[in-house]
Amino acid sequence: MISRSPIILALLVAATAAWAEPNAAQKIIFDQFAAQAKSGDPAFKGFSAERGRDFFLGQHTGGKPDTASCTSCHTKDLTKPGQTRAGKAIEPMAASVNPKRFTDAAEVEKWFRRNCGDVLGRECTLTEKGDVLAFLLSQ
Amino acid sequence: MRRQHKDPTNSNDQSDGRALRDVPVWDRAVRLFHWLVVACVTVAMTTGLFQSKAWFDIHVIAGSALTALIVFRLIWGFAGSTYARFSSFAYAPATILRELRNLGGNAAQHNTYVGHNPPGAAMIFALLFVLALLAVTGVSVLGGVTKEGPLAPFASFAFGQSAQLVHRVLAYGLLALVAFHISGVVLESVRTRGGLIRAMVTGSKPVPDHAIRAPATLARPALAGALTFLIIGPSALAIAHFAGLPPRGVPTATLTADYVKECGSCHSAHHPSVASRATWSAVMAGLDDHFGDNAALDQPVADEIRSYLMANASEAWDTAAANVLRAANPQAPLRITETSAWKSIHADIAASTFKRTGVGSKANCSNCHQDAAHGRFAPRGISIPQEKTKQ
Repeated sequence: MISRSPIILALLVAATAAWAEPNAAQKIIFDQFAAQAKSGDPAFKGFSAERGRDFFLGQHTGGKPDTASCTSCHTKDLTKPGQTRAGKAIEPMAASVNPKRFTDAAEVEKWFRRNCGDVLGRECTLTEKGDVLAFLLSQ
Repeated sequence: MRRQHKDPTNSNDQSDGRALRDVPVWDRAVRLFHWLVVACVTVAMTTGLFQSKAWFDIHVIAGSALTALIVFRLIWGFAGSTYARFSSFAYAPATILRELRNLGGNAAQHNTYVGHNPPGAAMIFALLFVLALLAVTGVSVLGGVTKEGPLAPFASFAFGQSAQLVHRVLAYGLLALVAFHISGVVLESVRTRGGLIRAMVTGSKPVPDHAIRAPATLARPALAGALTFLIIGPSALAIAHFAGLPPRGVPTATLTADYVKECGSCHSAHHPSVASRATWSAVMAGLDDHFGDNAALDQPVADEIRSYLMANASEAWDTAAANVLRAANPQAPLRITETSAWKSIHADIAASTFKRTGVGSKANCSNCHQDAAHGRFAPRGISIPQEKTKQ
């Protein structure tokens, strides 16, 4: 029994690492954003999860008063479900608890387009989207 | 036949040689029928008049039981014992009217009958007739409006709605008849000192010797039982068969996956039958400001959703929801929850109920209506989440 514990420990470590890493589909989408950013700006140095956190948790102006922040609906605890204005549950945003998140490029674009309009009153920039994605994939 | 008025204050009554004798009148089947009808009518009346959707099933069960009881009673009216037979209390209208007049006139002219007196007999026929009509109109409402039961494959909503009006009028009519029936029994009990109510329990009625009797006939319980079985058995099978057929004008397909995905993210995906084509057209034209939220769709998806909505809008179906929600509120043409029908149906639901965590808002039909995705909205499908209200 004791001899097996290092194997279990190794498996646990591997599993933890797998949770923290985006899955294949999420990686493809994230890489597409990065490639797009790079093609637009040769000096692009990568997205920042830190900036994404500030953007996601921060208050914005220009959008609708009911939805001044991403957290208005998604809440600050990203591992828990949020709630739409119509009262329906939103699946958690954190990739660690919801591996289905950010696996469909069209869905990701659709929701950025809609929600940036509601929160900011404008479309999000490529950098803003990439940063938010980096932040949510790290959660 | 002249006889002494049985004035309750007349203490000589018992000593004048006109003593009352207990005579078997109501056989066991009649008594059992009577009290079962009392029970079923009480249940059906209560659940029907209060219109509680939670009691709908009980109402239907009570109505079904009454229908079976009526079928049995009609058979027993030809095969029962002496006073159970219709022939023993089928009086000419003139006789009924004469006895009714006598009730208000000289009490000495009253005849005493072992079985039903003519006005009482008329009441029995009226009660049976109204109960039978209630059964017929009830099953029509169930078929046309609720889209359940044996008439569901054939009855339109409009037909069911007309039947509902008649059903309601008949129910009030039945209430009036019951009131007259009870008053009649009380009056007659007082007048004849006869235990009319006791007779319906023990079967024996205290009657004077000169009371009018019907020619004795023997009950034929085996024949009546066989006939009842032969009618109710196949009828039940036929009812089960027709109730199992697809109801008329009710969507059978589930919502398409694309529709649920695109129109069920923020609120429950509404079955297209809950709004008209005009409403859906306007909704689809304004998705970038959908009740304050941006819900814009890519063009190919939007086209697909639009054609799905047009093919399945309220005009395409005959459910209760499709019929009553077809008329939009001109003040808020896009809000299904602002239609007068929606508001009156949900009038007894507190605003706080819609805020419960399990409900969320009025926009989440399927949180309370388990069959919302099929556009049914049957009373049976309602289950309101019982959670604490959130802040």
